[in-house]
Amino acid sequence: MSQRKSYAVGTGMFIVLGFAALVYLATQTSSIANSHQGASYTVDAQFANIGALKERAPVKVAGVRIGQVQSISLEPGKDVADVSLSIDKKYAQIPADSVATIYTSGLLGDQYVGVQFGNAKNYLADGGHIGLTKSTQPLEEMLGKFLGGGSAADAIGGTYNVKASFTNVGALAVGAPVKMAGVAIGSVTDVKADPVKLDATVTMSIDKKYNQIPDDSAAAIFTSGLIGSQYVAIQPGGSPNSLKDGDQLVLTQSAVQLEDLIGKFLVSGSSSGSNANNGGNNNPAGNGSSNPNAGKH
Amino acid sequence: MTDPVLAKPDERTLVRIRGLTTVLSGKTVFDALDLDIPRGKVTAIMGPSGTGKTTLLKHITGQMRGDAGQVWVDGFNVPRLSREQLFTLRERIGYLFQNSALLTDFDVFENVAFPLRQHTSLPEVLIRNIVLTKLQAVGLRGAASLLPTELSGGMARRVALARAIVFDPMLILYDEPFVGLDPIALHQVLKLIRTLNETLGITSVLVAHELEAIKQVADHVYLIANGKVVAQGNPKTIADDGSPWTRQFFGGESDGPVPFQYPADDYAQALGFKEGIA
Amino acid sequence: MSAQVHRENVVLQSLGQIGSCGLFLLRVLAAVPRSLRHVRETVRQLWFVGAMSLTIIMTCGLFVGMVLGLQLYHVLAIFGGTSASGSVVALSIYRELGPVVTALLFAGRAGTSITAEIGLMRATDQIAAMEMMAVDPIAYVVAPRFLAGLIAMPLLCCVFCAMGIFGGHLVGVSWLGVDNGTFWSNMTSTVDVYQDIINGVIWKSVGFGAVCSLIAVFQGYTTAPTSEGVAYATTRTVVASSIAILALDFILTAFLM
Repeated sequence: MSQRKSYAVGTGMFIVLGFAALVYLATQTSSIANSHQGASYTVDAQFANIGALKERAPVKVAGVRIGQVQSISLEPGKDVADVSLSIDKKYAQIPADSVATIYTSGLLGDQYVGVQFGNAKNYLADGGHIGLTKSTQPLEEMLGKFLGGGSAADAIGGTYNVKASFTNVGALAVGAPVKMAGVAIGSVTDVKADPVKLDATVTMSIDKKYNQIPDDSAAAIFTSGLIGSQYVAIQPGGSPNSLKDGDQLVLTQSAVQLEDLIGKFLVSGSSSGSNANNGGNNNPAGNGSSNPNAGKH
Repeated sequence: MTDPVLAKPDERTLVRIRGLTTVLSGKTVFDALDLDIPRGKVTAIMGPSGTGKTTLLKHITGQMRGDAGQVWVDGFNVPRLSREQLFTLRERIGYLFQNSALLTDFDVFENVAFPLRQHTSLPEVLIRNIVLTKLQAVGLRGAASLLPTELSGGMARRVALARAIVFDPMLILYDEPFVGLDPIALHQVLKLIRTLNETLGITSVLVAHELEAIKQVADHVYLIANGKVVAQGNPKTIADDGSPWTRQFFGGESDGPVPFQYPADDYAQALGFKEGIA
Repeated sequence: MSAQVHRENVVLQSLGQIGSCGLFLLRVLAAVPRSLRHVRETVRQLWFVGAMSLTIIMTCGLFVGMVLGLQLYHVLAIFGGTSASGSVVALSIYRELGPVVTALLFAGRAGTSITAEIGLMRATDQIAAMEMMAVDPIAYVVAPRFLAGLIAMPLLCCVFCAMGIFGGHLVGVSWLGVDNGTFWSNMTSTVDVYQDIINGVIWKSVGFGAVCSLIAVFQGYTTAPTSEGVAYATTRTVVASSIAILALDFILTAFLM
């Protein structure tokens, strides 16, 4: 009999240990650890480009987590992304004219929404709206700004199966997303080299929901993050006519070769991509020379 | 025509087998076998190896079903019983396996207590009393806390016997109970079979080869060969009934109705001494 | 020609095995309500199958976590992303290594012993003896072991994962100097309870537990009652379980992710 009892006790301890491990995993190592959310309220904000922002990404003030991204949506016909933020009731006193910015934690980290306080006396309420936003900036755009705007996108036109020619597609592959304002609206269905024009023809299929894209929109090949995969970004133009099936995007911005850019930009030859990036964010004029490590080489 | 499931139990016969026919992988094991086992007696079933003596026991307990025929046990037609009915019947039958088949997870006490725990919810004190009584009957009360691996063959068989009688069954089937026992253990088992039969009136069926042992314990002997009963009678006199089967079996002759040679093609031809088609 | 016939036989045999394994599952499931009378037996099996496997599971979990911490640290160092090591260690363990390695260890440690035990019970007539004592061996022997495996696997997997995280933390933070706060905050911001822990750890390991214990009890119950038969069945348990785990892993990953 005592033998039997020891089985029962041992088995009981085993089950308790297993469940303790489960509770530990679920509460200490997962997002639940972050979302000990009591009451919260929701505000929304529009961004021209959300980059790689995901649902449940943190919302921070002064680097401290105050809530999370509840949902991300793209209203058909518009080229801005609606992001709704769920913020802890504790932090109810956020000035109504605060600015929401999408930041990246580190060079490779996930993206989050940072809120900088404004000066208004009235505060954001449930269902409120943050009017002032700053979107993420694809690396190529930031680097492009350094280069005097030489690679800014021009105007173009296209539709559901839309074609575009690029002088260089970089590592763009079939199946890569087509994004507008950072939200995927379609995918790349074909990448072919044109034997006559000696450039690359990219065929994209775009969701029918988004049938009001101006026909003078631009297509650009961007990279998500520094080592992420490449995608086609549609930058809407101003034409009253919408893209139709079979249209050709006339003007495009090809994939930027990071090495070329950095090589041209940093004359000293220092190859720290992260420094170039930071410099571009804050102080385009004082760029490469501000790198303390570069001097030591 | 479907066979009936129930009949009025016979006063004198506990097991009544009629026209049992079984074919296993092309070989006819039983060929319209008829056999009666009287109540309250010790019946021995003998026969050459491979004649299906163990198979016969399995038919009585419903572990196997024949292709035709009826097996009546205390008024139940075994091949027609559902699994539940069969289990109910089996609670009244003890079965002693050739290799004892004790549960290796449990000690001797728990092995004997196992059927009680499975089928009753008796208080622990009562279970203890019943188990110790049965162990005392087989002379192993002192070994209650041993594990089956610590028992000798003879002891294991006695424990298995204690387990088989824990429900005071109406019938015990012994499958080769004397194999591999030294003379002392053999006589202990013999004595137990006799005592259980005499004191409790349990009907016993035993399958064995040892004629000397059977002479001491059995009231009736069946000799089975070729799927039929070829001889039956009192164990003390059956060897002298004059049939070629009993003469070969009990006389220990190597050739006879049971041939020495396994059926084969012509010997001379196999060796190549004879031309193809003679 | 004969090779082709042989191959067809192998295919037919495998199909037959899978089919009878499925039918056996139905018998076991049908016996589960009856086996609830033998709760004690299930608890006892849970001890053998679960608690006795803890040592190997914890040791292996610790080492898998440590190796992951070490390997990923050096890969991430190339990109200057060592701060992400917490999340990468956690995700690799939760989504793949935890359930799969636990299941493979389980098949080797517990599955084989279940097969050998039932096989020996068959070979020594213990199964037949139960039948004769009017005890259904499926309900008394097979179902408790099946249930024990089903319950033990997710629990073992949780323990494995916790040890893996601990091992990754040990190497990453204590040894290689990743910041403790960064390690945890990266992990907590990327690991999703439903996607990674419920789907990745729990459901996967429940599936693996069912398959592993079914194969183990099936091989044991249908073994040829000889010593060679038991040895052969034990080997087949490991081989079949390993294949089934990895194949099922692919299917579950495709459906759950």
